[in-house]
Amino acid sequence: MPVLDIKNLILWYRTRKGPVHAVDDISFALEPGQTIALVGESGSGKTSTANAILRLLPKNVLRYEGKVVFDGQDVMEFDTEEFRKVVRWRGISMVFQGAMNSLNPTIRVGGQVAEPLMVHYDVDRDEAADQAIEALGKVGLSADTARRFPFELSGGMKQRVVIAMALILKPKVVILDEPTSALDVMTQTNIINLLKELKNTEHLSYIFITHDLGLASELADLVGIVYAGQLVEVGPAEGVFVKPKHPYTGKLLASVPRLRSEAAPDFIPGAPPDLTDPPPGCRFHLRCPVSFEKCGWSAPEFIEQVRLLQILEETKNTVPAIEAMTAKGAQNLLIKPVANGTVAEFAQRLTSFIAQNQETYRFLKSVESVQAKTKVVEVKLYESTPPPLLGGDWRASCWLLAGAGS
Amino acid sequence: MLGFLILLAVLVPIFAPYNVVQSWNDPGAWTNNPKLAAPEWSEVFTGKHLPRTALMPYNGEPGGFDKVRISFNVSNQVYTTVVLRSSFSFQADAFPSEIKMFMTTVFGNVTGTQIKVFWGRPDGQEIHIFDANPSVRAPYENTFSLTGPTIKDPSYAVYNSIRDWLILKNVTSETEWDALFPRIGGIYQNPPKAQTMLMGKLDHSILDPQTSEVLKGNYSFRIEFNGFTATDDANARAVVYGTVFGLAGTDFEGRDLLVALLWGAPVALAFGIAGALASVLIQTILGAISGWYGGLIDEFVQRTADFYLIIPTLPILILLGILYHLGIVLILIVLVVFGIVGATTKVVRSIVLQVKEEQFIEAARSYGASRGRILFRYILPRVMPYTFALIALTVPAFIFLEASLSFLGLGDPMLPTWGHILGDAYGQGALFASRAFPNGMWWWVFFPAAGIIFTTVAFALLGYAFDKVLNPRLREQ
Repeated sequence: MPVLDIKNLILWYRTRKGPVHAVDDISFALEPGQTIALVGESGSGKTSTANAILRLLPKNVLRYEGKVVFDGQDVMEFDTEEFRKVVRWRGISMVFQGAMNSLNPTIRVGGQVAEPLMVHYDVDRDEAADQAIEALGKVGLSADTARRFPFELSGGMKQRVVIAMALILKPKVVILDEPTSALDVMTQTNIINLLKELKNTEHLSYIFITHDLGLASELADLVGIVYAGQLVEVGPAEGVFVKPKHPYTGKLLASVPRLRSEAAPDFIPGAPPDLTDPPPGCRFHLRCPVSFEKCGWSAPEFIEQVRLLQILEETKNTVPAIEAMTAKGAQNLLIKPVANGTVAEFAQRLTSFIAQNQETYRFLKSVESVQAKTKVVEVKLYESTPPPLLGGDWRASCWLLAGAGS
Repeated sequence: MLGFLILLAVLVPIFAPYNVVQSWNDPGAWTNNPKLAAPEWSEVFTGKHLPRTALMPYNGEPGGFDKVRISFNVSNQVYTTVVLRSSFSFQADAFPSEIKMFMTTVFGNVTGTQIKVFWGRPDGQEIHIFDANPSVRAPYENTFSLTGPTIKDPSYAVYNSIRDWLILKNVTSETEWDALFPRIGGIYQNPPKAQTMLMGKLDHSILDPQTSEVLKGNYSFRIEFNGFTATDDANARAVVYGTVFGLAGTDFEGRDLLVALLWGAPVALAFGIAGALASVLIQTILGAISGWYGGLIDEFVQRTADFYLIIPTLPILILLGILYHLGIVLILIVLVVFGIVGATTKVVRSIVLQVKEEQFIEAARSYGASRGRILFRYILPRVMPYTFALIALTVPAFIFLEASLSFLGLGDPMLPTWGHILGDAYGQGALFASRAFPNGMWWWVFFPAAGIIFTTVAFALLGYAFDKVLNPRLREQ
């Protein structure tokens, strides 16, 4: 039985621009002793996922739904007090991004490590201090560290303190939110080795949030690739890192610089999508190198891409002259040609342009039909829905895979 | 500076017990002090040896008057005569400010009980200064002034005696005296200064107080009391008031300003520190609660703070002072009540808004610390340093407020605070130069003002020192 089973977790924030789909239908399961690495770009919703699991919500939450089954209980059903008593730190603890700032500067390290103990079990000061020293010992810090203030410690030591604090109530699951992001490489290695060791001695499950693929491969049994608030691929680390299924994972792996390689690291064109208005269909289709008919181009996106072609050096002379384009619904758009020749001629020119260029500019593949009307040309795009996460132990959400499967 | 103040505040009650303060408002307690006397050390500036106050106590007390009492019977009439004598040595270069004599008398119902006062000079002259009838019986004192008319003495007996004496000695003539000191309806328009004549060298210069020279040596009092019953009795004491007194001078009631100055320190410190501590701490906690809990609580606290900020505290205190005559503790309470929210609430709220977004607060939330625990164990310790600086900087404000109120006569009427003294001084026109005080009564204003400035500067410096330590922008890394 999985120690943590997350089903259709949703966390939307309310902003002035509209709802931010920070966590949009994320599901994964974690067996005892397993580590899942959640990998993704900044702003893709990794930390929001962690916050959603621990119910650390800001004030502007719009939607918070789904199932978080911890140890056989759906903790989403718990009220705040019950959640605080059962889940927070006793069941699931967290190591925060930037350990430097996770420690109260006005409390000594020993007191800080003992805080969760005193909050949850009401143990007296001396015993809490003893346990804090023991916990510090587990993460390789000497007993006299307990008497120091956080500012007296180095970054690596602070990180160890934060880990000790996360472990003091002996939780089953520890969420590591970029635990090494502010540390130098040597210290990173030390911390990762410490985490590995603790995982075995304390029988922990980790949710390891990182953007560092190298570190993820060190620690993870499972890898979840997060893109625009969704998991696009979940699978065993050996598989995902060696032979990624989702195009995004492939691009992500290609972007890692390699030692002793002449090839420049690859990059993904464009920027991550705006989470207030995520693209329809597959959220990666705008930047996908292999996108095709079913990926979910919408009429406004299509118009934007055509405008881009009109100014690109390679294509600006070959694109048929267009006077105006209007979206008509999500899948239809009307193109008004510049008035030289008939509309039918223009439609033909457009069709041949699409045929010639659709391998280079893959959005053109989404055109289902081009019809000449009296004054305008109506372009119809393929309809699409978001691709499901398909596969057994190793799932990915891409229509390419669905097509191959069916 | 602060150390000195605190030391002072601790030592003052030991050296000058509180009953000194209690007698502050009792005019009878200060009759032996000269009025409006400058500090003794101010004679350094004048270059003259200025007179101290000489006391001649009652007969029976050490150094007191000598007394001889005889009672005898002549043809069924009892006569009682009491003779009182005393003398003092006068070596100063200036004349005393006043000479007074106090008598307790026991007499029967027979009218005509008489007192005769004689003034002996170092040059052997003796002047019969005046005759008087006692009007009150022991234990109350009859007060006689040798240097000016008393209310009971509308006939200017002292001046007339001096005039007669000077004419007798051929120093002046009746016409010259009348020309110098004209009278209309028997009232002197420009009365002579008696002490310059009683104690001046006997020549023509004695007539003008500016030219009269002090005759140094032993002066003496001789008082004759004549009564008409066997139980009649009299006792006397005299005070030759100087023009300088103590370390800090005296005010218009002859009160020793040193007492008030010294007592001003603990009062100002206690008032300032208690007020600042209470109001800043309350404001800090409310500000932290406002920033941390947010929502309606925040709105309520902040709007209340806005409201309190526009309430003018001083006019309200003045109004309350006029209506109710508040004691110092009540003033303090009113100030704190009107300061439970205010600028500090807003400052602290803004700091808390910053602090509450910090990671360690989120960490604390994640391991289940309650909101109250986070407020008191995580947020308030972060705010406290700023609060200390604010307390130190608020103390002067409270001291000033108390001083302003006392100055306006609305402070605690029983306590001699610095502001109170300044108020008295202002009321008596201490800063106006007059013939008697060409530099004004500077000591009356200077010392309490210096005390206020010293204390407020001390706390301001403390506040800036805190600021330097605590303000990240000023902190040296």
